[in-house]
Amino acid sequence: MLNTPNFAMSEFMAVVPAAILVVGAIVLMLSEVFLSAANRTYMAIIGLLASVVAGAFALSNAFEPARMVLQGYAVLDPFSSFLTVMVCIGTGLACLLASGFLKHRNAERGEFYALMLFAAAGMSLLALSNEFITLFVNLEVLSVATYALTAFLRRGPRPAEAGFKYFILGAFAAALLLYGAALLYGATGTTRLSDLATVLPGVMATKSGLVYAGFGFVLAGFAFKVAAVPFHMWTPDVYEGAPTPVTALMSVGVKAAAFVALVRTFLALVHGLDPQVPFTLFSILALLTMVAGNLLAMPQRNVKRMLAYSSIAHAGYLLLGVTALFVPAGSKASDVGGVLTATPLLATAAVNAGVYKGILFYLLGYTVTSIGAFGTLAAIERREDETRGNTWDLERFAGLAQRQPGWAAAMAAFMLSLAGVPPTVGFLGKLFIFSAAVDAGLIWLAVAGVLASVAGTYYYLRVVVYMFMRPAPVDAPAPFRHWTTEVALVVSAIATVAFGIIPGPISEWLSRAGMVFGN
Amino acid sequence: MNSIYDSRMLNLVIFSPLLVAALVMFMPKTEKAQIRGVTLLGMLLNLLTCVWAWTRFVPKSPVEFQMEYRLAWIDELGLSYHIGVDGLAMTLVLLTGVLGPLVVLACWTFIDERVKEFHLALLVLQTALLGAVCSLDVLLFYVFFEAMLIPMYLLIGVWGSEERQMAATKFFLYTLVGSLLMLVALLGVYFIAAPAGQRSFDYATLYNGLMSLNREVAACTAAGDCNNISAGAHALYRWGPLMFIAFSIAFAIKVPMFPVHTWLPDAHVQAPVAGSMILAGVMLKMGTFGFWRFAVPLFPGAARQYQLPISILAVIGIVYGALMCLAQKDIKKLIAYSSVSHLGYCMLGMFAFTGEGATGSAYQMLNHGVSTGALFLLFGFLYERRHARLMADYGGIAKVMPIFTAFFLVVTFSSIAVPGTNGFVGEFLVLLGTFKSNLPMVIGVLATTCVILGAAYMLWMVQKVFFGTVTHQENLGLKDLNRREIIAAIPLLALIAIMGLRPQPFLDMLNPSTERFLARAQYASGKTDATTEDSKVRVMVRQLPAKVAVADAAPAQPPMPRFLPTGRLMPAAAALNPTP
Repeated sequence: MLNTPNFAMSEFMAVVPAAILVVGAIVLMLSEVFLSAANRTYMAIIGLLASVVAGAFALSNAFEPARMVLQGYAVLDPFSSFLTVMVCIGTGLACLLASGFLKHRNAERGEFYALMLFAAAGMSLLALSNEFITLFVNLEVLSVATYALTAFLRRGPRPAEAGFKYFILGAFAAALLLYGAALLYGATGTTRLSDLATVLPGVMATKSGLVYAGFGFVLAGFAFKVAAVPFHMWTPDVYEGAPTPVTALMSVGVKAAAFVALVRTFLALVHGLDPQVPFTLFSILALLTMVAGNLLAMPQRNVKRMLAYSSIAHAGYLLLGVTALFVPAGSKASDVGGVLTATPLLATAAVNAGVYKGILFYLLGYTVTSIGAFGTLAAIERREDETRGNTWDLERFAGLAQRQPGWAAAMAAFMLSLAGVPPTVGFLGKLFIFSAAVDAGLIWLAVAGVLASVAGTYYYLRVVVYMFMRPAPVDAPAPFRHWTTEVALVVSAIATVAFGIIPGPISEWLSRAGMVFGN
Repeated sequence: MNSIYDSRMLNLVIFSPLLVAALVMFMPKTEKAQIRGVTLLGMLLNLLTCVWAWTRFVPKSPVEFQMEYRLAWIDELGLSYHIGVDGLAMTLVLLTGVLGPLVVLACWTFIDERVKEFHLALLVLQTALLGAVCSLDVLLFYVFFEAMLIPMYLLIGVWGSEERQMAATKFFLYTLVGSLLMLVALLGVYFIAAPAGQRSFDYATLYNGLMSLNREVAACTAAGDCNNISAGAHALYRWGPLMFIAFSIAFAIKVPMFPVHTWLPDAHVQAPVAGSMILAGVMLKMGTFGFWRFAVPLFPGAARQYQLPISILAVIGIVYGALMCLAQKDIKKLIAYSSVSHLGYCMLGMFAFTGEGATGSAYQMLNHGVSTGALFLLFGFLYERRHARLMADYGGIAKVMPIFTAFFLVVTFSSIAVPGTNGFVGEFLVLLGTFKSNLPMVIGVLATTCVILGAAYMLWMVQKVFFGTVTHQENLGLKDLNRREIIAAIPLLALIAIMGLRPQPFLDMLNPSTERFLARAQYASGKTDATTEDSKVRVMVRQLPAKVAVADAAPAQPPMPRFLPTGRLMPAAAALNPTP
């Protein structure tokens, strides 16, 4: 006889957005079977609608009080709800981008959008998982969908290679994560994060080796997913090989969901550990990721690869925020400052609220900006060039301002936002993260981050220079225009600038509700 | 004073060009005359608002910033739309306002391609320039500072002469590197000036916060024990000089000071008349203004530390600029290098940290705007007729263009600081201040020698271009200035005479800000006791942003009023303890 738990209806609120996304995906798959319309733009619209409805529901969830639901296997807290909102924004825009992109390649199929929605559902669920097995299953839901999406345009050699690489490394990372979880289970006898937090301090005396090993493996698994240096090797190849709208979704959704899961997991795992250990590990990861991401992006002439490396750099800034959560208590200003030590300027009260808000705001800004940047890239790339290997060369942007002034202006806004120049959302996001880091005492790390991002302006502005200052090549092909693409670009461009000038209600929501269950 | 108009006047000053730009945007491309007319009217309107603001400014008022207007923007970051002017900013506003219509007149016939875009760029640039001068929020300043790059880049890069792309890119990259450095330093100041939750980009908060830290550092250095200072003071102690250097590099590029001046000759030579006029007239002042408003007052200790190196660089700029001028064949390049030399005087006067020096420096900022602006304007007329920049292409112009020659001579006299012109007042004060300062005598001596060099290169140029026989047949047919051109030149000539013969109104206007700058700088040079200067060096603002609690458990915050009550001024003591 199964012991059927008695759930209250309100407990399912947390998973409703994901359920809506899944329903949308099923509708899309069925429509692919039963409807044979020649024009498949309606599929993008269905995908968009599902994302909007799910996003709206998640937004209403964000104002619910934080609590554990479904027997502690999941949580309903504003942190994960806002993440779902961002995932839905990203997915909706990516659906719009994909429509024109796929039409141009005669590859518009229902399963593409369905896979996107499945991936989005996985992201949403990953963010609210509060137990290792749930976490692993949801990670796989999202990963399997993205593996398939990566190799969706299977004719060319590049997507197949990218898909294979992503699959092998992704499976490896998932295995590491699972192994780490198993070790932790061995040490504590529980997989629920909230139980781990209470049990861990007690077992440290006897099984500290197991715990540290498990901690390390879980961290490595997450570091793969968020593409932190030195676990970033797959990123440029996969991002380059995947269809551009999928890359856009990966750079925002997968990464954002993984970050939220990472924060949630490690807030539970650090209990009982020597506080220096997680702090030092995260500091090193953040420093390496910020610096290496920017340095590696610099020589890239391939804009898509450049954006891939830049997404690594942005993961570094987010890791800086994460590091601020794990600053050991008792650091003093008079301590000798170093890159890997915290020297708070002042006796800090709760900085964590600022950190959550900074991470969320940064993710929001990065979502709209990155979708826009990849979207512009998707709009100007042409299928005929794919065999020649110069599809995404900087030269493709030469003189874009004369050919497509609107696109060039939007792309300039995205580049400035990625570079963190006011008054764009990218600047505010960086300001939030860096101020949280400074408040937590990570002065040197913040200085390193600011310097790295100053260096980063070089490669972002190079795109702007090419668009506005280089003459257009004479044989420049006419771009393939599709209204959905342009809608997506307009929306993200407006969001990039408007959130930068008047973040008002958004940042207020995030600060009011940007908290994590249990903290 | 303090009527509802006063508090909103600066908005009009800053944004009236932008409103006109919106109007121009909807005009058809082909209606060139209409576009020019509307732009000119808009610029005149803008000038009118600037003059109005000038008349409402009370130089003797004890308040540092007048006509303040503050609108909450992003409270949790302490970011606000906060504008206001002190004496120096007010004069720079007027200078910008005066140059606006003249620039349009100067390019009336010269620009005939993409007329609409050209005038849009001019109007947007005007807004950015005025905004930067009036900003009291440092981030707002930064936004305007960056925003002026784009229209200027376009002015040089689209309507310039042959090598315009190279010059425009060089200009853009140099300035951008500088402003990014400034952004980093600015964030540093933001972080150390106030504790978390009370941070603000407001100039007054930054200044007051840094001032108390500066005092703490000064006290502990005097006592010889710096182990037990507060964390903020510790940060200032460690990072202050670096931040000062970052600010200095950013502004030195804009000034431009030797050795980061190399973009200027290229930019001036390639830019159209309008570009050169605005660049020389107002934009370079952003550099000196930045030193005056930010770099020195925020880091008096570091400023003292680097007084000598910066003065030496300024003198090198003066001498080097003058020597380069002597070697030039290209007239525009000569004027550009003379700018390097003249702005060297500005910097020298400022870093002398004496009353005369500071006043002279501020006056020299205006002078340079007027006289170099006028030089570029007049040479633009000649260039439009002949399309030649080399001195060798001219000769004996005085015979064919007598009015033009007369005008040019007057401006030349102003540029070489002949008594009776504005240049004399500024340069004299700067040199006097330098000799009276603690700087080595040789610096003053070198700077003085260059007054002679200045006369030499300008007069040689005038002689080669205007006197002698007409050596080129093409020059015989040149027409003298027409009515439009005379109208464009007269205001600047009048300013040269007025500012030379009756400098008092301008000096009165500048005096309070000079005194404040000096009080801060004196503090920097350690001459006066910090405590006695206390009330003087206090920035007075109406209200600082309310403390924003770190939203931990999301307490219901009282709604911030969108508008702070205007027209009330906090006494100095109250400004120290901001209570909402």
